[in-house]
Amino acid sequence: MNLLVSEGSQPQALLALEDGTCFFGRACGALGETFGEVVFNTSMVGYQEIVTDPSYAGQIVTLTYPQVGNYGVSEAAMQSGGTALRGLVVRDLCHTPSNWQSVGTFPDFLRDRGVIAIEGVDTRALTLRIRSTGAMRAAISTTDLDPESLVARVATSPAISAHNFVADVSPREERTVLASPDALHARTESGRPTLRVVAYDCGEKRGIEQGLSKVGCEVTVVPFDTPAARVRSLNPNGIFFSNGPGDPRQVTQTARAAEDLLGNLPVFGICLGNQIMALAAGAQIEKLPFGHHGGNEPVMNLLTSRVEITAQNHNYGLVFDSMGPLVPELSGGETAHVRDLRHWVERGIAPVVQTSHLGRVRLTHVNLNDGTPEGIQFLDIPAFSVQYHPEACPGPHDSRYLFQAFVSLMDAWRERGEGEACVSPDYLSIDVREGRPHHAEA
Amino acid sequence: MPRRDDLHKILILGSGPIVIGQACEFDYSGTQACQALRRAGYEVVLVNSNPATIMTDPETADRTYVEPITVDAVTSVIEREHPDALLPNMGGQTALNCAVALGEAGVFERFGVEVIGCDLDSIRIGEDRELFASAMRDIGLEVATSGFAHTLEETHTIASDLGYPVVIRPSFTLGGAGGGIAHDERELEQIASQGLALSPTTEVLVEQSIEGWKEIEMEVMRDGAGNGIVICSIENLDPMGVHTGDSITVAPAQTLSDNELQRLRDYSLACLERVGVATGGSNVQFAVNPTDGRVIVIEMNPRVSRSSALASKATGFPIAKAAALLAVGYTLDEIVNDITRVTPACFEPSLDYCVVKVPRFAFEKFKGTSEVLTTRMKSVGEVMAIGRTFEEALQKALRSLEDGHAGLGSDGHGTFDEEHFDELVALPTPERIFYVAEALRRGWGVERVAEATGIDPWYLHRIADIVAAEAAIHRLGLDGMDRAHLLAAKQMGFSDAQIAWLCGSKEEVIRAVRKVLGVVPQVKTIDTCAGEFAAQTNYHYLTYEAGGATEHVAASKPRATILSAGPNRIGQGIEFDYCCVHAAYALRDKGFETVMVNCNPETVSTDYDTSDRLYFEPLTFEDVMNVVEIEQPEGVIVTLGGQTPIKLARQLEEAGVPLMGTGSDAIDLAEDRDRFSALLDHLGVAYPPSSVAATTEEAQAVARSVGYPLIVRPSYVLGGRGMAIVYGPDELASYMAEAARVTPDHPVYLDAFLEDAVELDVDALCDGTSCYVGAVLEHIEECGIHSGDSACCFPPFSLSDALVRRIRHITHQLALACGIRGLLNVQFAVKDEQVFVIELNPRASRTVPFSSKASGVPLAKLAARIMADETLADLPLPPEERETGYFAVKEAVMPWARFPGSDVRLAYAKTREAIDYEMPAEGTVFISVRDADKRAIAPVAFSLAQMGYRILATRGTAKTLRAAGIACDVTRRIGEGHPNVHDVLTEGGVSFIINTPHGHDSHGDGTLLRSEAASRGITNVTTLSGATALLQSLAVLRGSQLTVYALQDLALESQ
Repeated sequence: MNLLVSEGSQPQALLALEDGTCFFGRACGALGETFGEVVFNTSMVGYQEIVTDPSYAGQIVTLTYPQVGNYGVSEAAMQSGGTALRGLVVRDLCHTPSNWQSVGTFPDFLRDRGVIAIEGVDTRALTLRIRSTGAMRAAISTTDLDPESLVARVATSPAISAHNFVADVSPREERTVLASPDALHARTESGRPTLRVVAYDCGEKRGIEQGLSKVGCEVTVVPFDTPAARVRSLNPNGIFFSNGPGDPRQVTQTARAAEDLLGNLPVFGICLGNQIMALAAGAQIEKLPFGHHGGNEPVMNLLTSRVEITAQNHNYGLVFDSMGPLVPELSGGETAHVRDLRHWVERGIAPVVQTSHLGRVRLTHVNLNDGTPEGIQFLDIPAFSVQYHPEACPGPHDSRYLFQAFVSLMDAWRERGEGEACVSPDYLSIDVREGRPHHAEA
Repeated sequence: MPRRDDLHKILILGSGPIVIGQACEFDYSGTQACQALRRAGYEVVLVNSNPATIMTDPETADRTYVEPITVDAVTSVIEREHPDALLPNMGGQTALNCAVALGEAGVFERFGVEVIGCDLDSIRIGEDRELFASAMRDIGLEVATSGFAHTLEETHTIASDLGYPVVIRPSFTLGGAGGGIAHDERELEQIASQGLALSPTTEVLVEQSIEGWKEIEMEVMRDGAGNGIVICSIENLDPMGVHTGDSITVAPAQTLSDNELQRLRDYSLACLERVGVATGGSNVQFAVNPTDGRVIVIEMNPRVSRSSALASKATGFPIAKAAALLAVGYTLDEIVNDITRVTPACFEPSLDYCVVKVPRFAFEKFKGTSEVLTTRMKSVGEVMAIGRTFEEALQKALRSLEDGHAGLGSDGHGTFDEEHFDELVALPTPERIFYVAEALRRGWGVERVAEATGIDPWYLHRIADIVAAEAAIHRLGLDGMDRAHLLAAKQMGFSDAQIAWLCGSKEEVIRAVRKVLGVVPQVKTIDTCAGEFAAQTNYHYLTYEAGGATEHVAASKPRATILSAGPNRIGQGIEFDYCCVHAAYALRDKGFETVMVNCNPETVSTDYDTSDRLYFEPLTFEDVMNVVEIEQPEGVIVTLGGQTPIKLARQLEEAGVPLMGTGSDAIDLAEDRDRFSALLDHLGVAYPPSSVAATTEEAQAVARSVGYPLIVRPSYVLGGRGMAIVYGPDELASYMAEAARVTPDHPVYLDAFLEDAVELDVDALCDGTSCYVGAVLEHIEECGIHSGDSACCFPPFSLSDALVRRIRHITHQLALACGIRGLLNVQFAVKDEQVFVIELNPRASRTVPFSSKASGVPLAKLAARIMADETLADLPLPPEERETGYFAVKEAVMPWARFPGSDVRLAYAKTREAIDYEMPAEGTVFISVRDADKRAIAPVAFSLAQMGYRILATRGTAKTLRAAGIACDVTRRIGEGHPNVHDVLTEGGVSFIINTPHGHDSHGDGTLLRSEAASRGITNVTTLSGATALLQSLAVLRGSQLTVYALQDLALESQ
């Protein structure tokens, strides 16, 4: 809201960064003070999905699109029961939204959930600062408006990597999400049973459950520290490792379960789940300078040579060359790793490495902006994972086919012959266009 | 998939003449395509009949044919050039239609030409409503459904299938009489029975109503590998019912949630796949029900369009360039994003700003045209503005329009029609946005305005915020506003002029106070990625932010700032943009860093590649000064962008800004009638008697001394806006009454109208000490028709060498006496061997592109070099007096052609063909001429009748013709009731028109006929000489086939 319209009804607020940069603005959510790691998200819409995404735990999120809150808030957009982020920075927040689905205003939503937010900030200048300096510790305060003091306190605030945020956002109880009736019907028609999936909820977005449900999976969502034995006792057709906040190396309980479960059942992982699975295979994890947060990241599927425009939200990623030596006969004869994985895009090859723990792993997806790995497929065990978000929410729907791929993997595993240790890796080679909804959805 | 090596030579079709709905955006896209393909190593052959374009510069393509976009001409080019492939989706609907026709004629098979970029079937599906509807149903998308009914019962059946409300459209009734929207059975009964009764075929179309739904456009690209991306979503502020070209539009879409938007994305990509767009850019339009989110596909264009030009400028993503590369086999991931240079073009731009486009109309030019906006496009140009908020962008766009507004009202220019106020809030008109703001000011409330207009409440809330801020500024006053308030006002997009008006202060004062308080704009960059990657391109806009972070990077070279022409309008089109682009090229070559300022998204000047730095900003004093203060240029060029920048010359100079080239005093000398007359007197040069009048009485007095007929026009005219020829006191009185309405505070000029004089346009260069005449053009149309609107020929075809020499001499004298440094244009009239000077424009004229191409002397480039302190002696110039060996003819509105040989009539025929696509070989000719021409028209009519044309004439003309023994039918003039000539025209009963001015009334008729004819592609000749040339060219055409020539060959021949 513009100052001339708000007429001084909003208290002043201050945003201070670790590097000493300060931005004055006006409070537009809850009042108080908050510390966290400041990141930016370049999605132009989907603010409610973003603030309810548990992966933002510990972070202060800057939205680069300047006018936020235009279409209000709705129940359908919720990605979790509440908000996990530490704070929100916007240029201009809309107090008078308009949309048929809207049940309230975004500023009210933020205030009701205790999200400290600041508007009137030059979010582009802030974004450029983060781009050049990297993600930093920061604070928003409506109580301490002295830049010097707030910067000093930011400098002594704890770093994000030292904390297991997953423990904060993961549920305490198990629960079950039913398969969608349409998908169930379709499966019954084709003579196939419902698939039961156990999903490790490390901060799972609802869009993922919905994605699995829509392809006919009944999902039992379990806490992040559920032991593998408990999962096996549920007798699932597949295991899913969800997205979640923070450094995957902090999430040791889930990593242990992954090590135990991988190889015995079909496994699919998204984002943090991808990192946890890679860790299990012996990969190293690195922190990206300012991460990928947005809805326009181009990813090449090396199996189909199709580009997917993807939704992403992560600060950490796996280091592909740390997973093991290349298998030359499956990597176009190459023996040396290259850091920029766009090399494989140019060559049209999906390279394979030999891991120390879990057999051969193929690189399936590459980020075209910076050449980082975006997806891997285990060739000797039934598992695959991606770093980005096929459920979108918010973002483009190009990668929804991955849910179908998981179903194909589970079906193939269920139907495999006696003594077969693995199944054909073809399940992942689905063209983006086949995943595109060709029918009007409500 | 890499570049295709099996193709070597590619033919690109341009879009031909500029007409409403198809303007210079295709010059922009075509130029990008040519450049991209040449850089990729292909030989490019271009056909475009509009040489006022950068596209048809000999440097743009390898082989350039300034020929009509017709099957015959393009076939001839194909025959001559043997291209491997044809790229038809860069030249708008004209090029697509031509490609389809070429395909149907078997030309591609005959010459082994491959159509790339799209296939002909997909064009057909895109165009044919039935095919499109069924294709969309195939993929589960809804289309607006309808059905024809012949009885009331049938209407009920159809309506109950569709659901209410429904639109009833009776077939074949004039202006849709008898139609309407029925919300229930009772209304249906009432409207449909009336409609069925009125329809001559007892037929009505019952259509699902989507009026009031949101209108959203998605700009989509697809490559040969099947990758699809959405470049931009665009939301219309006006709901369905107003053509998107006439609507205020906003990018990105503002009122849709992620879920809604992604659904439209899915649909758009599915639509392209189903229609079969092989590669390239397309645009898909949707209607979205604001109450339940239901989506209906309206249409898709399988080609680069006006909206894709807008989307390119709005996002920084070069759609046309990418589309051209995709057509030759590249995939999106193989093309590098120009802006970041490190990421691929295969991504979806993320904006961190808001873009608003506002159309520019010219209803004051077309007297009597309805101002209500409908699904048929009426705007003649557009502006785009960029801000951090919708509010800021909207206000910037409104002041970019240059129609007197300094923003959304509060500028002292708000006058409202009180009697029809409610109606004017509800009806979509060019002024509606101001009525909406005023209604909110008057306390209507957002809900009531939303109810009345169908505009989404989000937009109305934003406008209500602007209104609230306006009240706050007014209440606080200048003294009451601190730094934060002033910053907030600027963030809302208020101009200094608006703030001054609200505070009862002056623009200069606000500017000074702002600077003292440090409320100055910051440079932001359009980078396609919302800051995620560093931009390597200087494509900027200015905005206001707390904090002072600027992205301006100091230049290492001296800067030259070029002010371009703003929105296209009647009298100011693509020609000035052409001049500015040429200046940018020339100055870059001279070692300057060029800085372009413009707000017209349809142009080449607003391509980030054209200049070193582009500021997409309004061309007002305030906004230009902002750029100047940031860039600190060596000089600012104001004389190449038409009237828009030249109006700023004095103010800029007074503010201490160095102008490059002609200074403001020279401009004033040429534009001040008294000073200029004194100069002409001093030089002993004749000019038509003229005077100035501020009232009807004064005008009548002038008329008595000067005599009738008179050319009358308001002062500070632009392209003959409001100009008329009056033949007597009554006409003069009625003109004066209207003129006062057009420009209330300015007097009217009255010049003696030299009947039957020959008019000439001269474009010349002057360096302050010597002068060079680049081209003398002879008008084919009669004197008094504006040069921009009249047919011209280079070199003069009816004047003696001695006369032309005298005209050159006078031009030299005037240029030096005025102190021109750069380009000038002088208009002459020659009557009975006597030369009169009509006016001098101390700037580039609309004829410069034509003069440059016709003479082979790049006048705008050379003018820029003169402004950068070169002298004429430094420049490579051919002698002024030389044999060209060919005639070049430019025809009304735009298109022109240039022909070797000596037959000016043949040149005329080809030019005509360029406009009309096809010369009418048979049918009806409508003839209406003034009394003076009646005797002379008889032989023309006789020949036409001999050639088999049916003659239709107005009563007076018919009397003459019948007296001469020529059979003809009679129709009414427009004022005489129905059916009249306009009705016949709209029913498609006329092949071409010969209509010479009858004085004021008939000019009114003429204007209507001209616009109707233009929109229907019907030839309209306004002079006897034109009629004769047309007649002769028809005869030539019937006797022989036209031959095509490439510009590059002409250049050789003329050397």
